[in-house]
Amino acid sequence: MLVLLTAACSNYGIEPKPVLKSPPGFSGTIRFISEWPDSVKRSFLVVFKNPLKSDSDFTILNLKFLSKEIPLGIQTHKFSSLDSAYIPATPGLFSAGSYFYVAVVQQSTENLSLARKDWFVSGVYYTDNDTTTPGVLIIPDSTFVKNININVDFKNPPPQPPGGN
Amino acid sequence: MKKDFIKILSVLTVLILSINSNILIAQTYSISGTITDLKLKPIQGVNVVILNTNIGAASDHNGNYRISDLKTGIYTIEFSAIGYQKFIKENVTIQNQSIILNIELKESVILSEEVLVTAGKYEQKKSELPVSAEVISGKEFIERNFSNLADAVRFVPGVTMTEDQISIRGSSGYSRGTGSRALLAIDGLPFYTGDTGEIVWEMIPVLEIKRVEIIKGAASSLYGSSAIGGVVNCLTRDISEKPLTILNGFYGFFDKPYYSEWNWSGKRRPFNGLTLSHSNTIGNLGFNVSFTRLEESSYRKDDDFKKYIGFIKTVYNFSPAASVTFLANTFNKRAGQFLYWKDSRNALVVPEKNMNDRIETNRYLFGLMFKNLINDKYLLNIKTSYYRNYFKDNEITPNESASNLYRGEVQLNTNITSSIVLTGGVEGNYSKVNSSLFGNPEAVGFGIYTVADISFSFPLITSIGIRYDYSRLDSLKASGSVSPKLGFNYKIFNNLVLRSSLGIGFRAPALSEAFTSISTSGITIKPNPNIKSEHNMTIESGLNYSPFNQLSLDIAAFYNEYYDMIEPGIDPTDGKVVFTNLVRARIQGFEASASVSILPDQLTLIFNYTYLWARDLETGLALRYRPRHIFYSTIDFRKWNFEAEINFRYSSKVEEIDEELIDLGIIVDGELRVPVYTTDLKFGYNFLSTGFPLNIYLNVKNIFNYNYVELIGNLRPIRNFSLGFNFAF
Repeated sequence: MLVLLTAACSNYGIEPKPVLKSPPGFSGTIRFISEWPDSVKRSFLVVFKNPLKSDSDFTILNLKFLSKEIPLGIQTHKFSSLDSAYIPATPGLFSAGSYFYVAVVQQSTENLSLARKDWFVSGVYYTDNDTTTPGVLIIPDSTFVKNININVDFKNPPPQPPGGN
Repeated sequence: MKKDFIKILSVLTVLILSINSNILIAQTYSISGTITDLKLKPIQGVNVVILNTNIGAASDHNGNYRISDLKTGIYTIEFSAIGYQKFIKENVTIQNQSIILNIELKESVILSEEVLVTAGKYEQKKSELPVSAEVISGKEFIERNFSNLADAVRFVPGVTMTEDQISIRGSSGYSRGTGSRALLAIDGLPFYTGDTGEIVWEMIPVLEIKRVEIIKGAASSLYGSSAIGGVVNCLTRDISEKPLTILNGFYGFFDKPYYSEWNWSGKRRPFNGLTLSHSNTIGNLGFNVSFTRLEESSYRKDDDFKKYIGFIKTVYNFSPAASVTFLANTFNKRAGQFLYWKDSRNALVVPEKNMNDRIETNRYLFGLMFKNLINDKYLLNIKTSYYRNYFKDNEITPNESASNLYRGEVQLNTNITSSIVLTGGVEGNYSKVNSSLFGNPEAVGFGIYTVADISFSFPLITSIGIRYDYSRLDSLKASGSVSPKLGFNYKIFNNLVLRSSLGIGFRAPALSEAFTSISTSGITIKPNPNIKSEHNMTIESGLNYSPFNQLSLDIAAFYNEYYDMIEPGIDPTDGKVVFTNLVRARIQGFEASASVSILPDQLTLIFNYTYLWARDLETGLALRYRPRHIFYSTIDFRKWNFEAEINFRYSSKVEEIDEELIDLGIIVDGELRVPVYTTDLKFGYNFLSTGFPLNIYLNVKNIFNYNYVELIGNLRPIRNFSLGFNFAF
């Protein structure tokens, strides 16, 4: 009991997290290099923590960023993890770490859907001009990573992750 | 269905009246007297029971008791009270006249002779129960300036609270205000809402509580659904035979938060409460009536409240053997809604999008209970109740919900022989909901039960019972469930008692678990039309040992296997919260407690430790919001008219929480959690010896200003001071 009482007296439990000088996160630009198809009802930027190797990787818990709708018909769109988004619901710090799939997706359904069958990938983030595999977004501690740029060519979409139609 | 219920009520009313008119008109006599201690000071609340019958009484505040309506015969009478040695008077002969029997009781530090009514739905000694039970005395609420029953339940061994949801031996985690695995009853009337099935602790006025009995483990064999993890029965104060008015109040304030960045208001936030209660008996009619007002500015922004509680209990005695009790409990609350913090740097402030969210709640419980001692062998109880629950928030399109729950129960206790007590009954319930959150579903339930308690001479008491329940939730498939139980209590020596029990429990989902459809504060809950009832099997073995008067030890091991346990989770395909059935879960552990009287009646130490291992057998992960270790300790000192108490509570950091809500960015910094260490101080002084009927209490809670959460993003109360008084005249 003395041990517990000592523990009770010697700390104050939960404490505020320190404010980081540079909050971890990311930003970049999406460039739409072809005309928007009429079938597109909404478009988003998405970031998945783990690679999309199978249907089971396409889950809400693997999805770490789902932007608000990108305005239809525009040619360039700047984004930041500090923007308001569906996921995370509260804008702010974005956890440092490696994210294995960053993409622009479209939907043609009436309502926002998180079902894989309703998603179509129109642009993927690549690193070092290697378009054979999706690039990895690496966010070191206390670092805000810029220039996460993605090109979208509706006429030449990238390979689709598993689980689609 | 409503018409059917009214029909049932009508039949019950006719039954009440007809039984009452059949009371035997034979010549009867009484035994009465005064019960005092060795210094001739009257003792209140002594249980006086004629053994092998259902006949009994309790002494009033002057120590007087009276048992009426007795026929000529020879009786054995038992006198028992907490803190006093039990006294049995044999061969009390009544022959054509009433008798007076004055008794003196010796004080004792052994507390094992408490009498409970919850475990078997009739009076039983705690030391003779087959299950673990705890009792909270009503004075605890007054002395510690508690305004909410839930505040006291937190200090019961083996019980944890996650915000307002109770978990008895790990039975529950946190299910966002829906469902409960413990049944709360007030004077035996089940007290859960018709829509969410939740317990509303704050509705019960604590000044009206005489004591709270807590039964651990599945009690479905007597109480049906919701009692799968245990029962909390709140017994209200006895009605005074003379006019008695009590004014009770407290005023306090929260200290400044330990971290300056949390000091959002720059002020010490006050709270207060005031209750005015009156009790009296006029002829055959007795009543307790009270009104309570509670107000708190809260240590958290947008968490303030005002509450108003009305309470009436009236008892009309048709005869010494028959009475009808009417109970009404009303509740109004206007409060802010603090669901979770903005972030750890703003731990006492809600996110901007939730600012100024408010809610208004109105609830009403009405109960009618008829009790008739048909003769010395048969005791009949009929209970009916109506519980209305309404709330509305201030969203642009307000969420609004109203539920109406009707219940009825007929119960018969029979002393078949001097060694067999048979308890049986039937009950039914119907609820109807009109809600923007749950739709307009309705539910019906029906149960029939019987339990036999058999006493052998060796001395072994066995308890065997079974109950069948039928449940239908609106469009869901109806289900039936059989809940048997078996229990043993074996007194090896007078100071060594073994107990063991096995029970099967079940719980039908609450309407809200099946039909909720709401999106609030970033959390979306969706219905699950395929949800099923959950079942469990509880096994417990315990031992109580008092090697000498100053020491009492109790240990218990328990094992609970849950099937189709209903837990909230996140649907990975859409991120919405949904109530689903876990395939199988197991909760096991043990409890150990010790009560040491270092200086008899002056200095007492109490220790309780619970080890709890609750896991989902499919994933191997711990069940959410269950701590592995729980430890409580109390040091209590009383001398002259002064008392002081230190209360310490520890529970280890919970292993699993709602990680998804953090992953989805809904609750920022929600992963922050720590072990719980809280230390409270209480000082009291009794002015009664000066001729002034006043008690005052000073409480300092969370004296080390330790910051912890029970639920993610919800900091529990910081250090606070309060001064309370209790004035009776």
